[in-house]
Amino acid sequence: MTSIRSRKKLSTALILSALAGLSCAEPDEGGVRGVTDDTIVIGTWSPLTGPAALWGAVGRGAELYFDMINEEGGIHGRQIEFILKDDAYQPSRTVAAVREMVERDGVFAVTAGVGTAPTRAVMDYLTENEVVMVSPATGATHWAYPPKKYVFAQYTPYLDEAAVLVDHAVEDLGKTRIAVIYQNDDFGGSGLVGAQLALEKHGLSIVESVSVEVPDTDLNSHAVRLRESGADAVLMWLTPRQAVIIHGAVGRLGYEPQWLVSSVLADTNLLYELTEGAWAGVIFAAIGQLANSDHPLTTKYREAAARLAPEERAGEFLFAGFRYAEPLVEALRRAGRDLTTESLVEALESLDGFVGTGPPITYRPDHRQGTRAMFLARTVEGGTAVKLTDWIESGIDIEAAIQELEER
Amino acid sequence: MLAQVIAGGLSAGSIYALVALALVITYKTTEVPNFAQGEMAMVSAFVAYILMTDYQTGFFVAFSVALVFAFVLGIGFEAVILRRVRNPTHLSVLVVTLGFQLALFGLAGWKWGAEQRQFPFPVSANEVIRVGDVSVSTLGVATILISVVLMVGVFAFFRFTKLGVAMQATQQDSMAARINGVPTRRVVGLTFGISSVIGAVAALLMAPVITLDTTLMWDPLLKGFAAAVLGGLNTPVGAVLGGYLLGLVENLFGAYISVEFKSAVAFLMIILVLCFRPSGLFGRHRTRKV
Repeated sequence: MTSIRSRKKLSTALILSALAGLSCAEPDEGGVRGVTDDTIVIGTWSPLTGPAALWGAVGRGAELYFDMINEEGGIHGRQIEFILKDDAYQPSRTVAAVREMVERDGVFAVTAGVGTAPTRAVMDYLTENEVVMVSPATGATHWAYPPKKYVFAQYTPYLDEAAVLVDHAVEDLGKTRIAVIYQNDDFGGSGLVGAQLALEKHGLSIVESVSVEVPDTDLNSHAVRLRESGADAVLMWLTPRQAVIIHGAVGRLGYEPQWLVSSVLADTNLLYELTEGAWAGVIFAAIGQLANSDHPLTTKYREAAARLAPEERAGEFLFAGFRYAEPLVEALRRAGRDLTTESLVEALESLDGFVGTGPPITYRPDHRQGTRAMFLARTVEGGTAVKLTDWIESGIDIEAAIQELEER
Repeated sequence: MLAQVIAGGLSAGSIYALVALALVITYKTTEVPNFAQGEMAMVSAFVAYILMTDYQTGFFVAFSVALVFAFVLGIGFEAVILRRVRNPTHLSVLVVTLGFQLALFGLAGWKWGAEQRQFPFPVSANEVIRVGDVSVSTLGVATILISVVLMVGVFAFFRFTKLGVAMQATQQDSMAARINGVPTRRVVGLTFGISSVIGAVAALLMAPVITLDTTLMWDPLLKGFAAAVLGGLNTPVGAVLGGYLLGLVENLFGAYISVEFKSAVAFLMIILVLCFRPSGLFGRHRTRKV
């Protein structure tokens, strides 16, 4: 009898302590979810596995950045506890991962979440739960247009990139026949629409647009179509594998247009190596300092990455992770010791021309796209790049461009 | 332009044909497509890559080891995993091949990460041979030649060697073959080994063009499967012809009609073929006696 009773007591005690443990994750009376005396919980999702795992480096880069901040003593006496979850680039898994982050781990804010579809799948849930989201790692326009209180975008819209590249081709290089090869989805569509609008301004139109399905690996007929169009410049809105395939297929035809490519292909070292050097001469849009830049912050990040994660390839995506988290850390510093969701939003809104390793970032209560700037660069022999411009912006009407994109 | 498009179609078709052939020779023994085929080939390509980059071996050594590895992997998969399935039905065997595919893909991702790699190859994907206004890379020419030689070799093996004939016998009627003294178990294992080697050759030829990563064989496997259904799942010759046909039709359609629907045309063709000739364009219809 006694043994049963004591067992009962024991189990009651266990349940009680488990409940007590659970309630720790909940905010205390008047407390803030994810903020304690000595920690702030920040979360993100990244495709660490699966077909898009190349971009997993973004999440790991953000993690390294917070490790570096913690090493330096954290923010106002608090260490950052960073939660990185793998969603394999599947929106359904992103939803599960983010629910867990909010409801079990109790995150205070999220940053640098990768991918348009994964981010769209969780945006409403995050805003409903008043979780601040800073710098989704995608150049789509769903985040800041229309502005939402808890969502702060940093990535320069793809629409703007395409327009600036086209302006450069027409105004500085004297190209008049421009073709577009694009991935047949929202991402590729942005490149197409941005190019269209910029060309209209110059009284020109696209001479050929060729769409590519994501799994395609045989792009020979795409290459033939581009050559037949006689375009002297081709805008490329693809992911790295297909970029390498089409670049090779076009080169084999003896056809040499000026290539203009999106920031998604800014990892020039990788592409130079994959194309055995043929990538030299390609002009691309960059939305942050390049991985080999001598910018003081980039130098510092490179050293931190080499020290904290020597096995990690020091590519563009890794440092992009650092860059996406910069405005959040700056705002946490500005918000001070009394940290609440409201004070964080206020601090983010106080960023006015804040410069990290990206373009200057400005948020206002009615304005959530931190920047629309980029610089252009050209890949040179050896796989590095030279800057062609300073930070520049396109002149397109973004609201009209979004309208156009939705109607496509 | 037409000649250029046909050249592109032939080199894409060669890969589809190899993958289709690899699928069909195991399909004939198990009556189930081996969905792990692509991942087995991908892993074999990685073996060659690791040897060349980490151990600085030459092409000959790396490719030979990779093909031997592919052979052992094929035999091992059949002996250690497939043969252990209790009361095998088509569905359970299919699920096992899918499971093995996922396992290999996960393992490869964990071991080698997701980054694209440049795959060294003795002939260049960027060096071009020009005949008139047609340009084909030396690798494209090599791909067409190697696949033709390999396929002729496989057919000669099936037709003229004792082992090949035993394999055909096993495929046609396993019970009768066993009664006549064919060691059917060993023969089925060998079939998987040979199929895996053919797949690995396709992967080695693909990797320098489309870069090496763990998703290397996704598109080729899908297209190879489509080609096999198109030509006939129970005829190796038909599957190979289906591969070339698919490569040509896709490229012609993409260049002259619509590049948007280039990939969809493969599946449209399959639907039409399944409606009008369910055994494939070149397949013989098999009836099952009750």
